[in-house]
Amino acid sequence: MSDRIVFDNVSKFYGDVLGVNRVNLSIPPGITSLVGPNGSGKTTLMNLMTGLIRPSRGHVSILGLTPDQPEQLFHLVGYSTQYDSFPKGLTGYQCVSSYLRLYGFDRAQSEQLTWAAIDRVGLRDAAHRKAAGYSKGMRQRIRLAQSLAHNPRVLVLDEPLNGLDPLVRAETIALFRALAKGGCHVILSSHVLHEVDIISDQVILMSAGYVAAEGNIQSVRSEIEDHPMQILIRCDRPGELASRFFAEDHVVEVRLHNDRRGLLVKTKAPDRFYLLMNRIALDGFAVESVAPCDDDVNSVYEYLIGAEEPTR
Amino acid sequence: MNSLFWTQISAIVRIEMKKTFFAKRGLWIYLLALAPVALFFTHSMVEIHEHGARRQMVQKSARQLTERDLFSIGIGMSREDVIARLGEPPVSRTRNRRMRTGRHSSIIVPTEIMSYSDGNNELVLAVQNGAVTGIQKASGISLGQDSYVFAGVFQFFFLRLAIFFGCLGIFMNLFRGEMLDKSLHFYLLTPVRREILMIGKYLAGLLAATVIFSTSTALQFIALLLQFDAAVIAQYMDQNHGLAQMAAYLGVTVLACIGYGSIFLAAGLLFRNPIVPAAAVLIWEAANPVLPALLKKFSIIYYLKSLCPFEITLDPGMPPLFALLASNPEPISRYIAIFGLLAVSILVLLAASKRVRRLEINYSAD
Amino acid sequence: MAVYKRSYRPYSGETTPVWSRFLVLYRFSRRNLFRSKVQTVFFVICLFFPLLCLLGIYANSHLNAITFLSRSTGPFLDVNGRFFSIYLDVQAAFAFLLTAFIGPGLVSPDLANGALTLYLCRPLSRTEYVLGKISVLFITLSWMTWVPGLVLFFVQASISGWQWMWDNLWIAGAIVLGSLVWIAVLSLAALALSAWVRWRIVAGALLLGLFFFGAGFGRAINAVLRTQQGYLIDLSQLVSIIWHDLFRDAGEPPLSVSEAWIALLAFTSFCLYLLMRKIRANEVVR
Repeated sequence: MSDRIVFDNVSKFYGDVLGVNRVNLSIPPGITSLVGPNGSGKTTLMNLMTGLIRPSRGHVSILGLTPDQPEQLFHLVGYSTQYDSFPKGLTGYQCVSSYLRLYGFDRAQSEQLTWAAIDRVGLRDAAHRKAAGYSKGMRQRIRLAQSLAHNPRVLVLDEPLNGLDPLVRAETIALFRALAKGGCHVILSSHVLHEVDIISDQVILMSAGYVAAEGNIQSVRSEIEDHPMQILIRCDRPGELASRFFAEDHVVEVRLHNDRRGLLVKTKAPDRFYLLMNRIALDGFAVESVAPCDDDVNSVYEYLIGAEEPTR
Repeated sequence: MNSLFWTQISAIVRIEMKKTFFAKRGLWIYLLALAPVALFFTHSMVEIHEHGARRQMVQKSARQLTERDLFSIGIGMSREDVIARLGEPPVSRTRNRRMRTGRHSSIIVPTEIMSYSDGNNELVLAVQNGAVTGIQKASGISLGQDSYVFAGVFQFFFLRLAIFFGCLGIFMNLFRGEMLDKSLHFYLLTPVRREILMIGKYLAGLLAATVIFSTSTALQFIALLLQFDAAVIAQYMDQNHGLAQMAAYLGVTVLACIGYGSIFLAAGLLFRNPIVPAAAVLIWEAANPVLPALLKKFSIIYYLKSLCPFEITLDPGMPPLFALLASNPEPISRYIAIFGLLAVSILVLLAASKRVRRLEINYSAD
Repeated sequence: MAVYKRSYRPYSGETTPVWSRFLVLYRFSRRNLFRSKVQTVFFVICLFFPLLCLLGIYANSHLNAITFLSRSTGPFLDVNGRFFSIYLDVQAAFAFLLTAFIGPGLVSPDLANGALTLYLCRPLSRTEYVLGKISVLFITLSWMTWVPGLVLFFVQASISGWQWMWDNLWIAGAIVLGSLVWIAVLSLAALALSAWVRWRIVAGALLLGLFFFGAGFGRAINAVLRTQQGYLIDLSQLVSIIWHDLFRDAGEPPLSVSEAWIALLAFTSFCLYLLMRKIRANEVVR
């Protein structure tokens, strides 16, 4: 069995409206974040993965299974959707346990798994209240419990941190990390870029239905050549260092830091720049730190997508 | 079908039953089912009351009257003639009635209302100026007459409207309702074959519809019988196939739920707006008598009508559109009717299963 | 201290008269209505029968053509109260179907999407909102009932002369009043259901149920209780009793005309009450 989630030239059209177009992806285990503006196709990708919608063109494969085999697929996959509704009249506990009964678990097994999942999201106290009466954050957590109750290998989460308070947010992120560490695919979409930056092993940047970039964020950043990389250097003699940098043709801009203890360099060739830094260190400059300051999701997002308007 | 499928079907039925039986939005279905029960109950109460009043009249009567005595009275007879034939009235009262004499003038005429009864029939006479000016006759209702009325109400109202719209509500809600509620994905994200999901939902709907409408049929029957003596009921049940008729009505109710249920489940999957299929099915069922023989077989009422214990003739005053709705297709044998209806339902469910396999979640479209 | 530049100026130009503001809702809803191809096609189909009637009137006046076709010298059809009563019967059925399509979608989406509060926080009162919404049905249904009915009447009058028109002027009144009664019943029922049921399609199904179930149950009451009072819950029967009177049809209706008027008045008042009650909950108190 493959350990990848594969999109092979997948397109999805809703009538005349483009959902996603010509998507080719191969997603390895770990935490993968889908990032993009509203309407960029993140939810469409997730729905395609789980068979809620079918591709107009191309094929999707989840660990070797196709989404139109729900009877096998959903033993491996759990999906926490953005749809904020539950079957009428069910309590939080019943939402999870009845879901597990559909997997064929007997009453005792489903009870045990339900409580385990509910404990993982910290909702034991409210478990026997009607799900329809839950707060936004509680509904988010019960959806999460539902998606991970059967211990899936692929967890698909549509904006899972929305509505969670900071404490629960931190716990949830820790949970995702633990799952990913155990070899699970955790695929999530989020608008909170700094959180994506912290938790993701790889990102998929979506824009107007197309994949704008994918992979490890640093690798993605290094591929963006039309935006020089910005590197912050903390050192004892920033003025002298600046004059050294100006002599290099790949350095496009150097700015002294306000506190006169560092400088910001923009370079078109980061590799050559780091080699230069090695030489400079040998020349007796006391370099305290060298840190790229625009290889995070935020900057990559801004460079690749920021200028574009969402198309739908 | 293996045991996992049965486990899944029973889990789906359990979840759906809660929604179908106890949902606030489904209250109107109970009203549909209980309305005819209330009607027959009211009828029985009225009849019990009137029967009691007639019995009292017989007790108060000067002589024992027969039906022939009562119906021998005609308009224009003098009060004395009436008394001579029927004796002093057991119930009599006088009222002043305004009589129009011209465009703008009227006079008040005292009118005596005289009532007689032979215990079963009632005669009410209006006497003005010593002569009979008005006659109102009311006959007691026999179980035979009432069972015929029951058959008419069952076929033309309960079957074609109450069960029809009840099944529309219950079975459309199974898929289309969940799409409107944005909760259908709950099922589609489980390892359940879509066909199994459809069967589970159909069985849940069928269970609910059958329980609600069969209970209503049984209660209607009981409410109808309430007005009669135990001996009359026992005779009807034992000698006049009363039990067989009740069983037939219950069977037809269940088959109607099976048939209309399958159609509306399929319609809920195929159409966004239930008005279109509901109106189409209503027209299709209504047009059944004028359809070619082959097409007739693809309607539910064709089979149900043949299973009803009574053949009902149409009221001549019925409006053409309603008459078309209530017209009788030619009868077929009981076994063909049952298997035909089941076959139509299975065919419709098979078509629905093709659709459910390709079903996508696109809530925004609803 | 913060100094704010006062750049904002409220609109001080000319505004439309207050009385006509509800028409904004009508225009918006009408545009939505005819955006749907199905509804537009259905509306056009609804005009086929009046066209057929027009052809009938035209053919009737050209006896030569008729004689040639039918080889008889009698009139092809009698254009009288009965003719217009049948015309209204057919158009009323179409009006009902069109209402079942469009009526339920008038208020329920506003309630479901929280738009009602937005409407009512504008200078638009509850009455104006209802008026705006009801005018969609009123105007649309008018175009397929009494407007073509009057056209047919005047075409016949132009053919038969002033005397015919003068003698049969009551028919024109019957067409207008009869249509308005039906339109009022349909519009208020559709709007009330639309306001009380969040789902547009369920409201549509309920509207079908209200008319068909009411008719069926009314007849069941008549059969079981040996009475005629069951017709009191049969809306189409009540309206047809009124039409019967308006078009001076022969025969005895099952209920008196005054009973029919009172029942319809009670029904429409109840619908109006339901509608206003539901909308009042979303009204912005000023």
